[in-house]
Amino acid sequence: MIEKEQLVKMIDHTELNSHSGEKKISNLCDEARKFGFFSVCVNSCYTRFAAEKLFGSDVLVCTVAGFPLGACTTATKAFEAGKSVEEGAMEIDMVMNVGALRDKRYSYVKEDIAEVVKACGPALLKVILETCYLTDEEIVEACKICVDAGAQFVKTSTGFGAFGAFPDHIRLMRKTVGPHIGVKASGGIKNFKEVWRLIQAGASRIGMSAGVTMLEGFTLFKYAPQAWLEPEIPCHVCPSRHASLGKLPKALYTYYKQKCSSCPHKDEYNKFYD
Amino acid sequence: MKGWMGKILKIDLNSGTSETLDVGDDLRKKYLGGRGLGVKLYTQLCTPSTKPMSPENALIFLTGPLTGTVQTSGRYQVISRSPLTGTICDSSSGGNFGAVLKKTGFDGIIVTGKASKPVYLWLNDSGIEIREAGSLWGMKTHETQEKIKEQTHNKASVACIGPAGENGVLYAAIMNDNDRAAGRGGMGAVMGSKNLKAIAAFGTREVDVHDPEGLKQTYALVNKLIDKNPVTGKSLQVLGTSVLVNVINAHGMFPTENFKRGVFNDAEGISGEKIAEMILHGRSACYKCPIACGRSTRTSKKEGEGPEYETVWAFGAQIGNNDLQVATEANYACNELGLDTISTGNTIGCAMELWEKGVFPESLDWGETQRVVGLVEDIAYGRGIGKELALGSKRLAEKYGKPGLAMQVKGMELPAYDPRGAQAQALAFATSNRGGCHMRAYLIGPEILGQPVLMDRFSTAGKAELVSLFQDISAVVDSLSLCRFLQIALGLDTFGLMLKNVTGIELTDEELMQIGKRIYTLERDFNVKAGFCRQDDMLPPRFLTEELDEGPSRNRVVKLDEMLDRYYALRGWDNQGNPLEETLTELEI
Repeated sequence: MIEKEQLVKMIDHTELNSHSGEKKISNLCDEARKFGFFSVCVNSCYTRFAAEKLFGSDVLVCTVAGFPLGACTTATKAFEAGKSVEEGAMEIDMVMNVGALRDKRYSYVKEDIAEVVKACGPALLKVILETCYLTDEEIVEACKICVDAGAQFVKTSTGFGAFGAFPDHIRLMRKTVGPHIGVKASGGIKNFKEVWRLIQAGASRIGMSAGVTMLEGFTLFKYAPQAWLEPEIPCHVCPSRHASLGKLPKALYTYYKQKCSSCPHKDEYNKFYD
Repeated sequence: MKGWMGKILKIDLNSGTSETLDVGDDLRKKYLGGRGLGVKLYTQLCTPSTKPMSPENALIFLTGPLTGTVQTSGRYQVISRSPLTGTICDSSSGGNFGAVLKKTGFDGIIVTGKASKPVYLWLNDSGIEIREAGSLWGMKTHETQEKIKEQTHNKASVACIGPAGENGVLYAAIMNDNDRAAGRGGMGAVMGSKNLKAIAAFGTREVDVHDPEGLKQTYALVNKLIDKNPVTGKSLQVLGTSVLVNVINAHGMFPTENFKRGVFNDAEGISGEKIAEMILHGRSACYKCPIACGRSTRTSKKEGEGPEYETVWAFGAQIGNNDLQVATEANYACNELGLDTISTGNTIGCAMELWEKGVFPESLDWGETQRVVGLVEDIAYGRGIGKELALGSKRLAEKYGKPGLAMQVKGMELPAYDPRGAQAQALAFATSNRGGCHMRAYLIGPEILGQPVLMDRFSTAGKAELVSLFQDISAVVDSLSLCRFLQIALGLDTFGLMLKNVTGIELTDEELMQIGKRIYTLERDFNVKAGFCRQDDMLPPRFLTEELDEGPSRNRVVKLDEMLDRYYALRGWDNQGNPLEETLTELEI
């Protein structure tokens, strides 16, 4: 079981919506101070604003680069990251070039990351893989490239993709990068049970916008913990179940559904819905 | 001690005399207020042999330590012994009455005895007055409230009964601030049995707060937490409680035609979305409530408030009706007549199934919309078959030799969730201290809405633990006299913070949980002494043996036995549900 004080220090308190203005960012910073979150994660135009709001506190500013698609040029990402560091960001979450990785242009992907590592200087770099658009093999490859390129963290999702973080992906990422590289889970995380599952799977940081409401629910966790942590129906926490033809490329959707058809939990799932 | 006013008024209607009680800090710390303190006081004033409708029965109106200070703190609780179930019972209502009552300088009122003629109580800064209410007897609730305001103060808040309470309908409600109801358990019938038509209150005293600056900060935090929670910050605000119609129906557990099915094909027509399209003309809020789940509505004939989720179900799917206007007007009628909508609609559904099975003497078909409002009036006035329906579904089904067709627990009609689709909610229904009620523990939160987390609704694993936990927390929130929607958005820490700011009493979440457990066990202990046992912690056989045959909850039954033993053990009760001596000692009961 994790203590509340430990938990808050694993959370990047996040607000990355396009429609959020200074008032929301200001609230985000106030909440991060009040609850003692590790950082606030904001779009790069709010870096200076957040840094000023958090001056004197131990809450860091984390900013994104190439967000949310990761499809801009390396120079653009590097400039955005460097500028953010200059304005007070201590951590940068960049989006990997997902299309390049799926094209197997691995050196391009590595160079893209390495350039941002340089631009970050003393700041820490997390690389968002956008795992929903990758096969397991591609996730493994992407993790290796991130480590080789000098990134300090790999991260699952932007929160704007087809789906967010799942324990299966976190386990795979942790296994690939080993114990000394950070693994950040993000995207669609709403409550302490999901947080707990991801931590158990190997996440060392959690990015979420529902941190405050999650903590309210967390007070219940210590009562009847065995009840809250009863095992899930495996399909409910499996990315394959959340694959949607409307949101994924045809090939990826087929990939996930093929995984379902050979899944050892298939019978259990069918029994549940019988 | 700050927060509480420190005085409770006790009135004996036999003699017309009153006295002031100070229950003392010890009881306030152990039972807080509202439900908890009310139950404790009730057990001191009455015994398990006290008849619910007798003059000896006490009827207690209580506020809580936070009343008048924080969000949703206009509520009050009514505590007595229920004529519907025979259990100890508390019924809660929103609006402003609780806050206004407290501002008269009293934390609550205890009423005993029976007036020789109809009376109402007028409580204000100068004290209490017993006033003659002969001219008000027979009036509906809105008119009663208006007349009493004319006679007392135009800003008075009035809690009253309608014809249903006067005529002893076993599920009569107490209504306040127009359409807010202490609905469940027949508290209105107890009030009527005392010839007490209403209590009117208006006061100007302020609640003394321990840490006003701290409270200001906590108030802002609570607003933020309410706003951030998807249920309190969005769904309830936009669509009201009826947002649940489509949600519950989609889970195959929207009880249809007396719980025969879990899917209502016409659910869309009575949904929160449809209410917003067809009849909504505004939102309304209780005292200091930022959620404002109340719906101001208008049909082609009338206007009023609601229907809430449970009501649109009770006069919708439960009786096979898909006409939103009819369900809305039946709701208006219940409010005006002073009836609990859940028990009313559920009992009508029971009668319809009895007719379908060929044992009820009067034709009553599913979805017979033109008769619904008239039937509601017949129940309130005890006319025709309404007289039988006024006794509730349990007595009705027993009379016609089909007790299994009453969808009730301990005599109280079940609300709008088929327990076959949610095992923890099923256990919560079965073990509820006041009977078939979702408000003792709302496990729909974790089992359907994912609040605070989504649980496997068909599994029984860990469910005894969750039910016990939710029952205890709910007892705390009811005893703080706050709205249970806050329980969705706030953790125990935040409730503790509010209590500290207002009263200066610092309680850890463990201590708050202990208070909840104490209250729940005290209620249970009273019920056991009144003759309730394991056999009463039972659901109608339909849920245990008949599988739902369609929808996402198909092929399911409730596995009650798998959970009940574990639940008793967790509670510190024996296998018949009797609290053990050491449990009572540990909880200082």
